[in-house]
Amino acid sequence: MNLLCCFLGTLMGTLVGVLPGIGPIGAISILLPATFRMEPISAIIMLAGIYYGAMYGGSTTSILVNIPGEAASVVTCLDGYEMAKQGRAGPALGIAAFGSFIAGTLGIIGLMIFAAPLAKFALKFGPPEYFGVIVLGLTLLMYLSHGSMLKALMMGALGLILSSVGLDHIHGTPRMTFDLLQLWDGIDMVPLAMGVFGISEILINSEESGTPEILKTKIKNLFPSLSDWAQSKGPILRGSVLGFFLGILPGGGAVISSFVSYGLEKRISKEPGKFGKGAIEGVAGPESANNSATAGAFVPLFTLGIPANAVMALLFGALVIHGMRPGPFLIKDHPDLFWGIISSMYIGNVMLLVLNLPLIPLWVQVLKIPYRILFPLILLFCIIGAYSLKNGVFEVLLMFIFGGVGYLFRKFDYEPAPLLLAFVLGPMFESNLRQSLTLSRGSFSIFFNRPISAVAIVLAIILLVTSFIPYIAKAREKIEE
Amino acid sequence: MNVRDRWSGLFFLAFSIFVCVEGIGMDVGTFHVPGPGFLPFWSGVVFGIFSIILVGRSILSKPGEGKMKNLWKGTNWGRVIMVLASLFIYAIFLQGLGYLLATFGLMALMFGMMGKTRWWVRVITAAITVVATYMIFYAWLDVQLPKGIFGF
Repeated sequence: MNLLCCFLGTLMGTLVGVLPGIGPIGAISILLPATFRMEPISAIIMLAGIYYGAMYGGSTTSILVNIPGEAASVVTCLDGYEMAKQGRAGPALGIAAFGSFIAGTLGIIGLMIFAAPLAKFALKFGPPEYFGVIVLGLTLLMYLSHGSMLKALMMGALGLILSSVGLDHIHGTPRMTFDLLQLWDGIDMVPLAMGVFGISEILINSEESGTPEILKTKIKNLFPSLSDWAQSKGPILRGSVLGFFLGILPGGGAVISSFVSYGLEKRISKEPGKFGKGAIEGVAGPESANNSATAGAFVPLFTLGIPANAVMALLFGALVIHGMRPGPFLIKDHPDLFWGIISSMYIGNVMLLVLNLPLIPLWVQVLKIPYRILFPLILLFCIIGAYSLKNGVFEVLLMFIFGGVGYLFRKFDYEPAPLLLAFVLGPMFESNLRQSLTLSRGSFSIFFNRPISAVAIVLAIILLVTSFIPYIAKAREKIEE
Repeated sequence: MNVRDRWSGLFFLAFSIFVCVEGIGMDVGTFHVPGPGFLPFWSGVVFGIFSIILVGRSILSKPGEGKMKNLWKGTNWGRVIMVLASLFIYAIFLQGLGYLLATFGLMALMFGMMGKTRWWVRVITAAITVVATYMIFYAWLDVQLPKGIFGF
């Protein structure tokens, strides 16, 4: 059963990675309700498979269509598409898949090595430490998000406001429920995520019609030549290490690591001028980094119970729904889950290699599915998913409202990822803040008296302050461009 | 002046004031003993400050930046409104009409709105899609779907 779930997850991950528009966040939020009746381990294995599967699939569209299937493959377009135009689509796709496989495997080894000691260390954490790490995670995500930092901060604050809807956990007072019984349990994460990521995507795509134009090129020589390997081995190894550690950082993840890897490879290259003109290093490095980062992102989730990015926030929600509490006790209390996921990731990486290399012509055909067929189907899955949460129309309505709001966010350049992460972390943020303040009799010095929380909060303050210094803000915008 | 940022900032400012008022109504408490309104109130305050900064920055930005009319330039925004309106109407009638009927209507509409297709193709595709999902989710996976007044 777990093998089947792993296969389904990686298959769906590759599919959403290939299809431009819907990314792993949208896919996981849509499929989350479908896992409610599954065994928890099978459910998490499938959802995790979607995440790392999407990293594999994303490169196909970047290389062949010059449209990234998902955000972490944006940078692959630069050299991948150029390689395809030069008739080297095969080696580009091949090195992306092999690099992803090697990096994915190295990332899992890293996860095995680091998770258990970190979980032991996390047992020393009290409310101030948790609060500090959450604040740092949220700030990092906002700092590294696309577009305006100010708008990202606003989305974070809005996420916290939305997370406070429902009964107060300590006093039992209804908060912003507007006499609606359905809101007493709070806003569910699934309609929010499906709305701002899934439905808003449908609305954005309903503005236009048509399918992406696929480069007409023969895909041959999927196995890179010896000289391709010689050029790529360094970027793959560097990308794997870099991606893993950037993935661990709260707020980091696949997207950032792919950009940093590209920048690093260009900087250390003897011929930086060839980047952007079909350099295989520009494909190997970022594609390895984004896969390795997916494994790294599991570390804070399994050890601290803090999701590092929006996808991990959804997996955090999935674990809670399935009756498990992510945090330092997760590995000790549910070793079957931890090792089940580790083994599934090893097997999943092999499955992805098999799915991606020989089946590339099939994925190219998938790209030809017109939006007019695809998007009503996605909508239908969203509806069934939202309804099945509580067998009520309220969640469906809520999802549509968030869909409309998410559409406006996109039009007005507000990124929804910080909102989702703040929303998921909101209850933890609130309870740790309130507990810390009660412990310190209302003094904020408690956050600076303890080394871990002090370091985390000082780092967060530095990030916040520097992001508003004009020189750094401009540099940040330049990097983003 | 970035008109888009100004209007969205003003809207969020109004929203933050609303949240703060709600927070006060729930009892904010003190820093020593935070009340149920503590998080909503202070999040509202922070949100409001950011909104004011956004509005201020939009006024100081270069003229012509972020025009409202550019938002929907070259896009079929009428279709977006149609899709959104259909979704809300669907949500209202879903419980009464039941999954099969209501979703068939929505799908037929969506397949038409997302691209030009003949009406009978739309009807057949919508029927197949709805029946297939009903069989998979209701009959096979045991997911509860609304039956409506007609009992199916």
